[in-house]
Amino acid sequence: MANANTSTLERESPAATNSIASTEGFDHGLERLENAPQWLLELKRSQWREFLALPMPTPKAEAWRFARTGNLSLEGYQLPTDLPDADKKSVLESSHLFESFAGKMVFANDQLLEQTAATQEGLIWSPLSNAMSEHGALLRKFFMTFTPDLGSEKFQALHAALFSNGSFLYVPAGMEVSLPFVAYHTACGQGTAVFPHTLVIADAGAKVHLVDIFQSARKDTKNFACGMASIFAGPGAQVSYQAIQEWNLETLSFHLNTVSAERDSNVETIMVSLGSRQARNEQHISLNGPGGNVDNYSLSVPIGNQEVDQRTLQSHKAPSCRSNLLYKNALQDDSRTVFSGLIKVAELAQQTDAYQTNRNLLLSNSAEATSLPGLEILANDVKCSHGATSGKLDEEQLYYLLSRGISRKRAQELLVFGFFEEITSQLENEELREHLNSWIGRKFHATPPTKNLEG
Amino acid sequence: MPATIEKETSSESIAIDRDIGNFKYKEDYSYDAGTGLSEKTVEYISNVKNEEEWVRDFRLKALKIFESKPTPTHWASKDLENIDYSKIRYYLSKGQQPSRTWDEVPDDVKETFERLGIPEQERKFLAGVEAQFDSEAAYSNMKTKLAEEGVIFVGSTEGLKEHPEIFRKFFGKVIPTGDNKFSALNSAVFSGGSFIYVPPGVHVKQPLQAYFRINAENFGQFERTLIIADEGSEVTYMEGCTAPKFETTTLHSAVVELVAMKGARIQYITVQNWSENVFNLVTKRGMAMEDATIKWIDCNIGSRLTMKYPGVILKGRGARGEVLSIALANDGQHQDTGAKMIHAANDTTSNIIAKSISVGTGRSSYRGLVQMPKHLKNCKNNTECDALLINTNSRTDTYPAINVRGDGNSVQHEASVSKVSAEQIFYMQQRGLSEAQAMSLAVNGFVNDLIREFPMEYSVELKRLIDLQMEGSVG
Amino acid sequence: MSSLDLRNLKINVGGKPIVKDFSLTVPKGEVHALMGPNGSGKSTLAKALAGHEDYEIVGGEAFLNGQNILEMETDEISRAGLFMAFQYPSEIPGVSIANFIRAALTARLAENEELDAAQYYRRLYEKMDLLKIDRKFTARSVNEGFSGGEKKRCEILQMAMLQPQIAIMDETDSGLDIDALRIVSEGVNTMRGPNLGILLITHYQRLLEYIVPDRVHVMWDGRIVRSGGKNLALELEEKGYDWVKEEVAAV
Repeated sequence: MANANTSTLERESPAATNSIASTEGFDHGLERLENAPQWLLELKRSQWREFLALPMPTPKAEAWRFARTGNLSLEGYQLPTDLPDADKKSVLESSHLFESFAGKMVFANDQLLEQTAATQEGLIWSPLSNAMSEHGALLRKFFMTFTPDLGSEKFQALHAALFSNGSFLYVPAGMEVSLPFVAYHTACGQGTAVFPHTLVIADAGAKVHLVDIFQSARKDTKNFACGMASIFAGPGAQVSYQAIQEWNLETLSFHLNTVSAERDSNVETIMVSLGSRQARNEQHISLNGPGGNVDNYSLSVPIGNQEVDQRTLQSHKAPSCRSNLLYKNALQDDSRTVFSGLIKVAELAQQTDAYQTNRNLLLSNSAEATSLPGLEILANDVKCSHGATSGKLDEEQLYYLLSRGISRKRAQELLVFGFFEEITSQLENEELREHLNSWIGRKFHATPPTKNLEG
Repeated sequence: MPATIEKETSSESIAIDRDIGNFKYKEDYSYDAGTGLSEKTVEYISNVKNEEEWVRDFRLKALKIFESKPTPTHWASKDLENIDYSKIRYYLSKGQQPSRTWDEVPDDVKETFERLGIPEQERKFLAGVEAQFDSEAAYSNMKTKLAEEGVIFVGSTEGLKEHPEIFRKFFGKVIPTGDNKFSALNSAVFSGGSFIYVPPGVHVKQPLQAYFRINAENFGQFERTLIIADEGSEVTYMEGCTAPKFETTTLHSAVVELVAMKGARIQYITVQNWSENVFNLVTKRGMAMEDATIKWIDCNIGSRLTMKYPGVILKGRGARGEVLSIALANDGQHQDTGAKMIHAANDTTSNIIAKSISVGTGRSSYRGLVQMPKHLKNCKNNTECDALLINTNSRTDTYPAINVRGDGNSVQHEASVSKVSAEQIFYMQQRGLSEAQAMSLAVNGFVNDLIREFPMEYSVELKRLIDLQMEGSVG
Repeated sequence: MSSLDLRNLKINVGGKPIVKDFSLTVPKGEVHALMGPNGSGKSTLAKALAGHEDYEIVGGEAFLNGQNILEMETDEISRAGLFMAFQYPSEIPGVSIANFIRAALTARLAENEELDAAQYYRRLYEKMDLLKIDRKFTARSVNEGFSGGEKKRCEILQMAMLQPQIAIMDETDSGLDIDALRIVSEGVNTMRGPNLGILLITHYQRLLEYIVPDRVHVMWDGRIVRSGGKNLALELEEKGYDWVKEEVAAV
């Protein structure tokens, strides 16, 4: 969006009253919620108090083990003000990755810029700002009823207190929609904080696919993004969800996601972490009914001194469920990743199949990968395993590519594509797969935000 | 003169089982530090041992660290809160000088070890034995030939006094006092344990063995072991332990430090069979220099709660560390065991194989740490954790932490959880084995590849121990 | 006379009747073949007789040498002299074949008796040579990583070592190439004699060319619908099972 010559960066001087860490800021945000029902306002107030009461994470906290906690300060971020038209225009221009889709929403700083209406009878595809008043009862039944609680409780509370918009997708029983619904979330302006929320409810036997794209208007704005995505898959429902996180490399981001899978449902989620200086991703999967099946994939390609901190929980609460998790990270420069996962099998969850795999590819001498793959098994008739590997590229493979005249950088890139293929091949949508490959490729040609010590 | 036996087990013979240690003799101590822990307790121990000033200061400093450190319940079992340090007795002995022959050992103590089969084992296959009864070694002896070769095998009290030039150089260096709350506790009140030095090039072919016996109620045993294998030497150390079953809490908190100099090999074998009232909170770590090997073989069958993660700091190029761990948690037990591998030099290799069996309400946890810091090349770690769950209410956890920097190293970790399948049991029953026999065979099969690593004498004992633990687990 | 004597057996699996009214006597010294199409209840019968708890015997009687095996546990049935060569033998990781067979033999001894190790290995090797099983196999875990043929040979090895009075061989020929089939059959044939009765469960006539049966029974829908001499198997091969089905339907 280089053509945005009148950007918010120069013009906007953030009002102190908008600071996200101040109660004034919170009150100000509340005033802007025109359509919010009473229960939601109360929830927001209580979550604000919760936010104030909870301590900031420290390195000593088990849920933050090995993660950086020094740069989590919320000072200097403020809630967004109205965007100038020029900015809106450029956001809209950069929000058309898909030629074909079932529905589309474009948000800039949590403000809805564009929406295509849903044509299916009974299906709801609505910005949350409208859903609050139009579908209040349905919203209330699901909204924030299941949260990850994997260490970022303070930020969850902040999200609940300050969120103002996002996408709400309800698919009625038995309805199948094969094209994806796509929501674009763009952060604009220096110091802006955004709180995108995604809520997907697939009723019994429904089938749906949603893609969230998170991006920044400019490369150099320091932003704070704290998003939540909750998926509720009813009995026999099939849900596919992909989140592409491409905030700029100055952003501090949280993506706090949950999957709730009922009997015989099938859920597949893919989280792609490309941006952020520090990204904290939480994924809590709850298998509530027999036959539930959840696949959870994640890939990250950190460069410079990016940190991707991933915390997951696969909670088997019912018998005969299956969950499979695969997290792959390819690290360059001084980047860091932390994967901390837990498979929890309740006493009554016999015949569980649960798998958890973390593979880290270290591409530089100062990249750092940490794996904390955990199991807590309280039932005995289970198939559970986890695996974690951290290593370098296969020298033989690299040599083979070099011997064909391919440059080292390009050969590495090709092998990294190969490394991720296990995940990218899961993407059925061809357009998305192509975009993803080009995004990953870009991480090999990008200038890292900090000086690469290796030269 | 025969001693009075207060408690008898039903079994007449000296069979190897959980109950083998369940007997005690009347308490008759010349030295008793009383109940509870204070500077006075520490000074009493130091005075009795007639220690040098630096040792006394070391102890007092450790006490302060112990008191300042919180109980680590933010990650460890809440059961730790049930230890009442003010109700424990920290030092009990009949004297500080161990006997060199069994004849000189007081009758009741001698009978204890005879019942446990120690003198017999010594005759059969050991190069030396130290037998600790509560706070001090009652017996300590080694084959004359080894002494002639310059091997030192004495208790820690004697080691501190007679060999300060070697002892002081490494004492507390592998495991600093403040490593954790329990290493601090041990550093304040340690007594007993072994001090071993093997001179360059000496291969001690038969194992040296220590046997730790708790006899008194409300007692805390805090042995401190330091083994130094000088360049190119080799030594195998084995330890066994038992205690009578008491209603009240017994605490065992040892610190074991190993140092393997260039090209040396140390193998340390533990068969832990404490009674079910013992909190077993032990810190064990070795430092392996260039091309040296340290191998921990750790088998935990007994105790109420065991927390033990033997580690190796791979300090010299080409060093190798290994932990083989077997844990069996029966009803009410929690075996929280694992391994730590700290890679600190290029071309270092570590290997961890941990197998656990949970029976009844037993809980086995694996906790591990593998660390490969920046700029190391060609380091490798391989970790395998397998858990076997016998009953529907058995529990297992796995909590590894793997931290790797740089593109020159490789780490692999695999863990699995399984049960003995009904089909396997049926198959074996069709060949005429009872359900219990079939279960026992399957469990032995599960740990078989690890048990093979034990010296013969121990593998037989271990298999029987596991068999006995499996009794009554099915049906 | 000692034998396997089955009278009006009714067996349910998951509440569904599979074996409906099955009667058969296999005297010692004879080889009986039980043939039938898939789903006729052959394997259900075999597993139920070995005391598998998923197979519920809801009616009838089963005697081994006059002992009622329906009141016995799986291991007791085995020790009483009934051997089951499974279609899909279990894998027992970490338990070597040598130790496993040894444990099974020891289970047959009185409490204070011990197996003579030297004699045991002599016999084991002898039987392994007969079945052309490499001696290195003794150290391998039971059935773990075995090919189909190796598993079946391992079953026959156990049978040879445990010396049952009645052996039920469930689809022993499945998954065997012609060489393996010959070796297995030779092994079985050397065991034939007045002290062993065999019930061969098979889908195909092929096995019966190598192990020639004294009697052949055809099972269909949970019961025996035809019995005859060894020529019945040839007749089946020629005409197929549809012929039996049609005949049954006609009756």
